[in-house]
This record gives sequence, C-alpha cells and structure tokens, in this order.
Amino acid sequence: MRSLKYFLVSILIVLSSSSCEKFLSVDPQYTQDVENFFETKEDYERALVGAYDLLQGSFLTLWIGEIASDNSIAGGESVNDSQGLHQIDMMNHGGINSELRNVLRYNYAGITRVNYIMENQDKIDFVGKDHILAEARFLRAYYYFELVKFFGDIPLIIDKRIGIEEAVKLERTPKAEVYAQIEADLQYAISILNPVASQKGRATKGAAMAFLGKAYLYQNKFTEAAATFDELIATGTYSLIPNYADLFSVANENNSETVFDVQYSGLEGASYGCYICAEGNIAAGFGGIRQYNGPVYSDGNSYNLPTQDLYAAFSSIDQRRQTTILNIDAFIAAQPAPNDIHYAIGAGGHTGYYSNKYIKRLDEMGLPDNDLTSPVNYRVIRYADVLLMAAEAHYQIGNTSTAQSLVNQIRVRAGVPGVSVNSLDVIYRERRYELSMEGLRFFDLVRTGQAANFIDGFVVGKHELFPIPQVEIDLAGGKWNQNPGY
Amino acid sequence: MTKKLLLQFLFILSLGFVYAQKMTVTGSIINEKNELIPFVNVSVKGQNTGVIADIKGSYKIGLNDTTNAVLVFSFAGYVKQEVPINGRKTIDVIMTILLKDVQEVVVVGYGGSTVKELTGATSKVSGENIEKMNLSRMDQALQGQVSGVNVTTNSGSPGGSANIRIRGISTFGDNDPLILVDGIVYDSEGLNALNPSDIKSINVLKDATAGIYGVRAANGVIIVETKNGSMNSKPKFEYTAYYGIQQTARKLDLLNAQEYAVIKNEMFAMGGQAMPFANTNIGRGTSWQDSVFTTSPVQSHNLSLSGGTLNTKYSIGLGYFTQDGIVGGSKSHFSRYNARLNFSTDMSAKLKLNSVLLFSNDSRNTLPENGIGSVLYNTINAFPNQPIHKPNGNFSYLEEVADIINPIAQIQNQYNWGSAAKFVGKEEFIYAINEHLSFTNRLNYNYSVVNSKVFSPLVWYGTGKYANTASNENLDSPLIEIAPGTSIARGASVYEEKATYLDLTYESFLNYERTFNENHKIKGTAGISIFQRKGESLSGTGYGIPNNSVQYADISANTTPGGFLNNVGSWQFTERLVSSFLRAEYAFQSKYLFSAILRRDGSSKFGPNHRYGFFPTVSGGWVVSDEKFFRAKFISFFKIRASFGVSGNDQIPNFAYRGLLNGEGVYVFDDVLTQGIAIGRPSNPDLKWETTRQFNVGADLTFWQKLDFSTNYFIKNTYDLLFQPEVTAVLGSYGAGGYPPIINAGSVSNKGVELELGYKTPRKKLITADLNVNFTTITNKVTSVPSGVDYIPGAGFSIGGGTATRFQPGYEIGYFFGYQTAGIFQTQEQIDNAAVVQEGAQPGDLIFVDQNGDGIINFNNDSDKTYIGSPIPDFTMGFAFSLKAKGFDLSGNLYASIGQEIIRNYERQQPYANQLGYVVDRWTGPGTSNVNPRVTTGATRNNVFSDYYVEDGSFARLKNLQFGYTFPTLKLKKLKVDSFRIYIAANNLFTLTRYQGFDPDIGSSGVLSAGVDYGFYPQAKTFMGGVQLKF
Repeated sequence: MRSLKYFLVSILIVLSSSSCEKFLSVDPQYTQDVENFFETKEDYERALVGAYDLLQGSFLTLWIGEIASDNSIAGGESVNDSQGLHQIDMMNHGGINSELRNVLRYNYAGITRVNYIMENQDKIDFVGKDHILAEARFLRAYYYFELVKFFGDIPLIIDKRIGIEEAVKLERTPKAEVYAQIEADLQYAISILNPVASQKGRATKGAAMAFLGKAYLYQNKFTEAAATFDELIATGTYSLIPNYADLFSVANENNSETVFDVQYSGLEGASYGCYICAEGNIAAGFGGIRQYNGPVYSDGNSYNLPTQDLYAAFSSIDQRRQTTILNIDAFIAAQPAPNDIHYAIGAGGHTGYYSNKYIKRLDEMGLPDNDLTSPVNYRVIRYADVLLMAAEAHYQIGNTSTAQSLVNQIRVRAGVPGVSVNSLDVIYRERRYELSMEGLRFFDLVRTGQAANFIDGFVVGKHELFPIPQVEIDLAGGKWNQNPGY
Repeated sequence: MTKKLLLQFLFILSLGFVYAQKMTVTGSIINEKNELIPFVNVSVKGQNTGVIADIKGSYKIGLNDTTNAVLVFSFAGYVKQEVPINGRKTIDVIMTILLKDVQEVVVVGYGGSTVKELTGATSKVSGENIEKMNLSRMDQALQGQVSGVNVTTNSGSPGGSANIRIRGISTFGDNDPLILVDGIVYDSEGLNALNPSDIKSINVLKDATAGIYGVRAANGVIIVETKNGSMNSKPKFEYTAYYGIQQTARKLDLLNAQEYAVIKNEMFAMGGQAMPFANTNIGRGTSWQDSVFTTSPVQSHNLSLSGGTLNTKYSIGLGYFTQDGIVGGSKSHFSRYNARLNFSTDMSAKLKLNSVLLFSNDSRNTLPENGIGSVLYNTINAFPNQPIHKPNGNFSYLEEVADIINPIAQIQNQYNWGSAAKFVGKEEFIYAINEHLSFTNRLNYNYSVVNSKVFSPLVWYGTGKYANTASNENLDSPLIEIAPGTSIARGASVYEEKATYLDLTYESFLNYERTFNENHKIKGTAGISIFQRKGESLSGTGYGIPNNSVQYADISANTTPGGFLNNVGSWQFTERLVSSFLRAEYAFQSKYLFSAILRRDGSSKFGPNHRYGFFPTVSGGWVVSDEKFFRAKFISFFKIRASFGVSGNDQIPNFAYRGLLNGEGVYVFDDVLTQGIAIGRPSNPDLKWETTRQFNVGADLTFWQKLDFSTNYFIKNTYDLLFQPEVTAVLGSYGAGGYPPIINAGSVSNKGVELELGYKTPRKKLITADLNVNFTTITNKVTSVPSGVDYIPGAGFSIGGGTATRFQPGYEIGYFFGYQTAGIFQTQEQIDNAAVVQEGAQPGDLIFVDQNGDGIINFNNDSDKTYIGSPIPDFTMGFAFSLKAKGFDLSGNLYASIGQEIIRNYERQQPYANQLGYVVDRWTGPGTSNVNPRVTTGATRNNVFSDYYVEDGSFARLKNLQFGYTFPTLKLKKLKVDSFRIYIAANNLFTLTRYQGFDPDIGSSGVLSAGVDYGFYPQAKTFMGGVQLKF
C-alpha cells in the first residue's frame, strides 16, 4: 500500500501545474529566438544581411518592366509556362497572376525584415548602429518603391512586424504617403551613409541619392529631382565607363558607373522549387538561349525576348544595339562552324533576339543549374541612368541646355553623334537606347504618359498599375478595392 | 483461485438446496469455457415468472409444475436455451457463447472492457484479417476492413505510406490517428517497421471515448496488440511464407508516334508556328510505359514460436519481407527484417510482468515520385517518336523540353537509399494490491536510427536539361570557383544523413474494479503519463566521388581539394507531454452502463499561454436485450450506446508558438555569400490546441444469433484547426526560408453514419461462410475560417495556374474551385452570338459558364469560378467474405470508394509533351467534338482550371482474393504437423473505375492537395502463392 500512497502523491504533483511547467518549457537548442535577438552588434549586422536578401527577388522587375513594354515578349517553352508573364505581355493580365503575387510577397518580406531591425533599433547602443539603420532604411525605401511602382497604393507598415489579426485590418495607404516614407528613409540614409561602402554590394550615399532623385521623378517633383541629381553628379563619385559593351559582364561588375546593383552569385545554384532562395540571377538564367550548344553563350529558357520593334529602333551605328540585343541567327552565322551550333525555338514565342545584357554566358556559369541562374548582377541604377534622369528633370524645369549636355555625355560614350534636345521625346528615346532590357521601359512609359502610344492593348486609366492579385486581396481581409479597370 | 471459486460455488449451491421449496429447481450456469455466468435470465416458457441468477451463476426458481414445464435461459452474448424440466430438481446448464463474443475483452486504453460493456464506438480487426491481405504495411491492409476508417494510398511504391483517416478529415495539418502498438506510440511514418504478421488484433477507437488519450486523440486511436502465447501450452511453431509477382494494374492510353506527330503538327500550325514533323508516317514509335513498368517479385517469410508454462507465456517472431517496385525494379525497393519477443510472467502471486521487444530493420530505395521530375511523369510526357537508345548506344535526349528527361536513363542514374533500425519495447509491471485494485507501472521506449544516402553521379540528359549534373555529354565535371581565379571540379556527390529518435514514455495507473451487492459494478482508473521524444540528426555532402561510381558512394571517399565544397548540417529537438487521467465506470447488472473520463495534458508544443488542456468525456450504454420486457426473439443481443466528449490535437512542429531565426538570409557582399539571419516562422504565442467535440450514438444488434449489426451516427466538430495557411503577403512570410505562422484557423464539421454487418454460419456446418460488410458515409463541411478572410487557398493547378482547391465555409475541405464548362465553341458565329462574352475564344475552345451572370467570363478574378468537385467520397464500402468447405477456403476483400473527384494534373501542358489518347478525339472543326478542345501552342483559356480537368474518381477494387487448401489433420499427425495450408492469392486483381489515370486510390498527406493526381505511383497487381505451417 505504500506504493499506492506514492502514486497518489505523484498524481497530485502532476496535476499541480507548477511542477511540470519546467519540464514542459523546452527551449530550442543552438538557435536564437526572434524575441531575444539584437543583443550584440553582430546580431544587427546579421539581421541586415537578411534584409538585403530580398533584393534578389528583383529579377521579376527585370522581366516585367520589359515584357509589359514594347521592348520584349515573354517567350519560354510554352504560353502555359509563366502564364502571368504571357498575360502581362498581351496586356490581358488580371487578378490571377503568380509573378505579380511574388512581387508583392518578396518586397513585403524585405520590408518585414527591415522593420524587424527597426522595431529593435533602441535595444542596445553601439558605434555604427546608425549606419546599420541607414542601410536598413535604404532597403525599405527600395522595397516600397518597387511596390508603389507596380501597384500604387499599398499598405504602409513601418518599424514593426504585424500579426494576422492586424494584417486583415490594414487598408491600402495612399501612394503619396508611401512616397513620403520612401523619401524620409532615403534622406536618413543619405545623411548617414558613406560615398564608398565598406563592402561591394552595400548601399552607399550615392545610391540613396539616386533613388531619392528617381522617387522625385516618379512623382513629377522635377525641381527636387534635378537638385538631388545635381548634388549627386557634383560629388564626382561616379563616371561613365569608356566602353558600353563592357557594362554587362560579370568580370566588369561594380565599376565606376555602378550606382546600385543587386548582387548575384553563381556559387550556389538553384532549383525550380524556390526562386527567391536562389543566390543567382533568375532573369539572366532564364533569358538564355534554349537548348543552345555553341560558343560564348550557355543554354537557358528563352524568356524575355527583345522585339523586332526594339531592334529596329536603334540606329545601325549605335554600338548599344548589339550590347542590348543578341541577333541569334546572325551571331551563329558569324561563327567558324555555324552548322554545328543548334538552339531550340520555344513555343512560348520567338523573335530571333535575346537580351544580351542579361543572358547566360559560358564563362559565367557557376554551379551547373544550367538554365536557371547566372551570377550577373542586376544593374538597378547606372550612372548613365542618373544622367538621363537628371536631363529629364532639368528639361522639365526649363534647363534645356543642361539637359542637352547630359544626354550628349551618354551619346558620346555610345559612339553616336550628339543630338539637340529640343523635346522630352529626345530624352525618352535616349533612355530606350541606353537602358532597354534593364527593367525600366514599362515604368518609364507609364510615368511619362506614353504607354498607350507604344504598348498594344494598353488601356489608359487601367494598365498604369498592375492589379493586386485577387488572392492577396482576399487574404488581407477582402476590403481592398482592386486597381481601376481590373 | 479456481478452487476457491468452486468451493464458493458448491457452498452457494448447497444453500440453494437448504432453502429449496417443494417445487423448486436449482442449478448453476456455466459457459463453454467452464466459467460461471452471472445474472442469467431464467424463466418458465409460456409464463410470466422468472428469476435472475446470482453473481455466482446460481439460480433458484419456484414452479408449480416440474414435469412439463420448460425453462428458458437467456443472457446477452449467449445462445438462448430451452430446457424441459422433466421432473428434475437440479438443472445445470452450459450456455453457448454467441458468435459475437460479448465477453471478449477489448483494450480501450489503460484498461480493458468487454464488448458487452463497451460504451464507445470501436471497431476491431483480427490480426488474421490483416495478415491475409499480404501487404507490407498495416495501414494498407486496414483499407475497407472497418467502417469509419478511410485509408488512401500515398504511393504504390514499395514501402510507400498510406493515410488513415478516422471519421473524416477534420484538420489541415496532421490527420493521422494516434497509433499505439502494445501501448507504445508509433507514428504512422514508422509503420514501415511493423510486421503485419506480428499483429494479434487492431482496435480502432473512433469516438470521444478515445479521449482517455486526450490531446492526441482527436483523430482517433488505433490500438495494435502483438501476438502473445498462452500459459500452460506446449511450444508451437508457425511458419508462413508467400512469394508473388507484381505488375502494373494499368497503363495509360497515350499517343503513339504517328498520332503524336499528326497532333503536334496541328498544334503548332494552330499556334501559327512551323510544323515540327515533315513526315508524320512514323509508325507506333516507343512505348515508354512498356519499358518503365516491369514485373517484380515480392516475398515474405515469418516464423514464430509461442507457448507457456504455469506462470509464463511467450511468443517469439521472426520476419523477412522484400519487395521490388513495378517501376524501376530494385531501384524502387523495400525490405524488412523483424524480430519480436512478447513475454509475460507472474513474478509472484501479486506481481506480473509484461515485456515486449520489437526489433526491425527496414531499408528502402526510392525513385522520384509524384510531380514534375518524377519517373512516371517523364514516362507519360516522353515523346513517342524518340527511341530509348540512340544508334550509338547512348540514351536519347528528348530534346525540345527542358524538364522532361528520358525516364529509363533517369531510373538508371537514381541512387536513393534509406534505412531505419528500430527498437520498440515495453516493460510493464502490474501489481495486484488486492483483488479489486491493481497498480500498473510501465516504461515504453522507441529508439530508431534512420539513415539516408543519395548518390548523385555526373549525368547528362541532353542539352539544357534541368537534371544535368555534368557539364557536357562527355560527363566532364562542372568547375566551381571557390575564390576569384581558383576553380575546382565538383564531381559526383553523395549526401548522407543519420538521424536518431528516442521516445520514452512512463505511465503509472491504478485500476479498481468491484461489484457491490451483486448488481453494481464499479471500475475506476487513475494515472499519469509522461512522454518525451528527442531527435537529432547529422548530415553532410561530399563532392568529388571517384570514378563517378556508386562503388565509392560515401562521404569518406570524397576527393575535393581541401574539402572546400563539402558541407554539413544538423538539427535536434525535444518534445514532451505530461498527462494525468481519470476514468470512472459504473454498470448495473451489466445492463445500464455509464462511463466518464477526464484527462489533462500539458504539451511542450505550445507556449506558456496555452500549455494545458482538459479533455472530458461521458458515455453510456443500455443492453436492451437484457430487459425482461424485451421479447423480440430474433434479436439475441441489442445495445444502445451514446458518447460525448472533447479531445485534442497537438501535432504541429516544435516551437511553432515562438519565432525562430531559422529563415534564410544570405546576400552577396564582395562576391562572397554572406550569411545573415531571418525569421523562419513568425511567432504565435496564442497558439493553442485544436479541439474536437464529438457526439456519437450507436447500436449493436445480433439477429438470429448469427447476424451481427452495428451502427453509429456521429457529429464531430473540430475547432481552432492547427494550420499553416497561405497568408497575406504583407506579413512578410515569403522570403527565402520563411514560412507563414501556424495558426488556429477555422473549424470543420464531420457528420456521418457507419454500418457494419457480419454473418457467420454456425460452426458445425459442412460449408461455413463468414461475410462482413461495412459502409461509411461522411458529410464534411468547413464551418469557419480565420476572421477577416473568406477562404484559405490550397493546391495549385499546372504551373503558375492559380489555385485549384480551397478551404471555405459551407464546402468540403479542399473542394475543387474552378470554371464550369458547357461544351466547345463550334463556330465563330456561335461565339459572336453567345450571350456571354468570353475573351479570346475561338472555335474549338471550351465554353465556360458565366457564374455571376454579368455576361462576361472573367479570367482575372474568381467571380466566374465555382464548385467543380471534391476529393471526399460520398461513401466508402468494404466487403469481405470467406468460405470454407472440406479443407478448401476461398476469401476475398472488396473495397469501394464512391463519389470523389480527382484533378488530372499529371499532364505537362507543353507543346512537345506526349498526351493522353483522348486528344485523338479533339475538336478539329464544327461538329467534331463537344468535349475535347482544339490543340494549339498559342495562348488559350482552355488550360485554366476547369471541370475539363476533373474526373470521377469513384472506384471499386478487389483488394485481395485468396484460395487455399488445408490438409486433413489426421494425415499430418504422423508427420507431427498440426496444420498445413497452401494458397494462391491475388491483390488488386481488378479495379472498376472511369478514372483515366494510373490509380484512382490516390491519397495525399496534405489536406488541400487531396485528390490532385501529380503522376501517382500506382499500386501493383500481385499474384502470390503461400504456405502456412504449424507444428
């Protein structure tokens, strides 16, 4: 009967919650908890690396910014692969589009990682914290700018993470307020960051200034834009590299013309399952020539193929044409043994052209994921873009001569004669020659009000913004109004 | 003990004599097993007089006439007996137990109950029925055996698992029931280790009375008992074995080369592109299926020894099972060795020891299955115009499509091995404190070592193939730049992982049982259970495996300079559960039954806010047939039962309530991958149990003493479903390595009816038949979703094709949501004149139905989508029969699942991919087809998810048919053989279905991807011969 007593006592012990509370409090080993992080400077630095990670999702901008425009078609193996891109190409896209959904997902993931740092900004103090916060806020501005470009009004969440209950109550924040936050974040970054980063790939003062100027330009705040670009140009940090053809090789990355690149690497490879997990450039990997076996290039998935319209837009003496566009049949014909070189035409479309800026090359392979990624960086803002944006802003505020000299700096480097900048169209055209296949064309056409003139099927009042994926409206509580026309 | 009882019995008997009146008959009532039966009704035929025997089984009845009167003895569970008195004063009666043995003990958790006194809804399957199915896993064998249990197959590959769903799908996450083998927790993945031949019985607790297991019980509990010997019996050997050959039960109707060429030409022409085939007259071409499917062997051997001495019983079992796959042969393989020891001994008059030790070692080779990249997917989509081998002996490359590779080459280059060694055991001490009270203490353990290895040789499937690991056709290794300017060859690689798991459970409980005043039986159980599971793993990858050869497929053989590329990983976890439970049962004359359960659980899976839960259950039963007023002679047993209770589910990943920094945060600085951190899963400190409230009412009847009928009606409502749903992008969960939070999302209701009918001919007939039918119908409905959203999206269709399934209130869980079609547009005129505008439609395209009536088919939101099917069957049925005559026996097992739909999602919507034969009957001009749309490489809306891709998944399958002969015992005696039986058998001999895919019995462990066929590995059709020998 003694054991019975012990037993009854032990039952009582188990029934009393306090004793087993300790037994049940199991902590995960060898990992840090979200809520007790930011104890050291290294913690902040590591969280910041995590916030940078989502920049690599910008391959979608490289695609959509061109495919939606008159510059390229979606391409690929069939119209059923990446249907979202094909619909954007045909201007019949709507609320069911997995690529647009990923734009929303990736950028909000980046914002959330920044906000996680910002939420904990006061936890400890150390030398250099302001620099970490400045980089973080730069990244937040980058992500919000992407979202506002694609979708217009979007929920603005600042300096905190939110839970599901809160998420379904969020409203879309007016675009102007989002831009105000972007400006504030960039101004803070400008005030802290150094002109030269401690490591290649990090945000710099110049990058923040360029983005601020660009954000002004997208809001038609031309005076502010011109002033910001002038200030940036005056720093003398950046210059055009002599040869346009050298701009897009991996070997020549992070040069004097690089204002801000999304950094990619070939060290890890990728798989079809998770594009955002990739460290390489998906847009360049997919942009390769289908089933190609030959010199210079490697094979890819024939996505984002330049149009005849773009090819024809260039003057034949413009060096930039062949750096921008690969004319595959002409290229093969010029090789020593053209009959041994084969490539396949995808049923998703074929123009005879490939983007020569973001394409998979034999000497830029990295791990053999073949057609998925390339280590080539995404040149988000080149100094040439800064000069052209500055020219545009100056022209808009009446400084035509400044505009003309800026535009002609670009033309000289390209080996084409100077032009007289007597209209905005001259600047806009120059942007197309200089910056095609860099993910800018569609957004340029929209912000300058020209889209309907150039894009078949473009409906004014509708296609300026992409639709918010219906499933995202539903998951966010179903209260948001879809963008007009969709 | 027996002696004492006998003395008491004699004493009472003598009392009976002392008090006997003139016209009195007395006697004792025993059963065939020589056990006393208490409370038997004794009445006089044709009169209203009667008595009830006492607890010792003695009766005394006063009579006016002892000459002609007939006494009637009746008692639930026994055959009613009429005995003419013929002037006798003492009549002892031996009553025959009914075929359904209501005194049979059923394990219900921390104790037993008799079938008669059971108040819960349970179903029992004998080990014999499981063994007879000749399947490698218990769950596969359970399909169709009992009502309320739906088993679907995840994969037909050797060692492939199945899903057991008890009473419907009630949660998103883990719907697996709690499986206990001799009281030891066994996860359903681990069922590979259990030898079906070792099973004595399986008891399925379906209703709230499973609540004695509290937080693990919401999905039902399956209690497996392994075989044991019996005391005082001679050692008995039993050897069983079978050998079988397997083949695919079905091949798909695919296009041959000529059909393919014609259709592809048409497809490209329709898309405005150059036709790929100048000559379409190219014959039948390659049947990839004929080469991929092989005939493969399966065999099983089991040897057991059981017996007992005066105080001890034992059973020892040895088993071996091996099976090759019908796809890939030995590359898709499962084998298992089992050893088992069950040992029970009375250590003293009061202390008893039960010891169980199960050892198993299984190994499995697998091929990629289910989805893009799987062998069968490549087989279906491979081009029939290409040979398997090129003239130079190399495999053909199937160029033109990057993600379709030569399936034969793929099989040859796959090396995926897994193995698990497992020790499962129990040491249980039962101490009888007194005759009413016993005290049980037991320690259960489950230790397993799981190894896996994947060898990736350098292979080349053709230019541009995603699966290439070599850089060219010569199998040159790719070079990896490890530092600027320094590159090394990657070579072949091998990945290895070693994981160990240790479960320990300590349980301690008291059982009390006592009968007061002969009529009031009280049982009580009180105890505690403490559970801990620890797991840890170490893994690594080694590159540069020499000679590109599987012979050196081990990390130790890696040759990478400096080990630069090799990498390692590890993980570990601990989870714990602390529980206490109480159960009280009361029975009045075994006629009115009442039971109450209370369990309290604390689980480490949840945060301090919601760590503990209470789970109460009440149940009752009424044996109507024991009532005096019950006179329906054809009903020999009739019981009504009801139960209501709460149980829980805690089956979520560890630490889901708190956020961990286990996401991926990697970026490139200075051309080097820089490791940062990121939140993996956002925290949810308010995460709590999923709770299930279940009501059950049922009845058990026996008619004419040979027909058993059992029925249940249940309402099972599950609240606060644990799930990781898709969440809004603004939460930021979709970065690399990020997951949505696990939340308590919504609720689901399952209501259903279960019927079981069993017939057994009385034993002494020349031909005996044993028939069992079971029927289950369940209505599943989602009743709520998390506040703020209208639905939760589920599985996708095709690639980038949007979602096809949903979790939405008012509908079945995971129902199919898409466009409804109404034939094919035949002419442009028809399109122009249609009342509904369908953007981009051309003649030959599917006509979609305008669900919202706005005159436009909207492809940009969900407004014209609707319910187009559900993966949940309307009803399932099992039918088993067994006939025996003169040593011959014939038995079979039929299973039917009716009313569910399947999404045909294994077709690659690619211009060059091969297609199913139905494309031959496509639309080619007005009037040619109103079912199958035109083919084109151009953009159409024909490939949006619509009912065109939904097929009726109903099927009926003869799971097992067996014909055997048992040799006459007399002849065997000389050979000292007790019994010898030989048989031939077939599994999956036929399947009746209209489904076009390989196998309509498709399961999915993901609730919202149920019924989506990604190119399923089908179950084999197997022909077997076997022996059973006892000596």
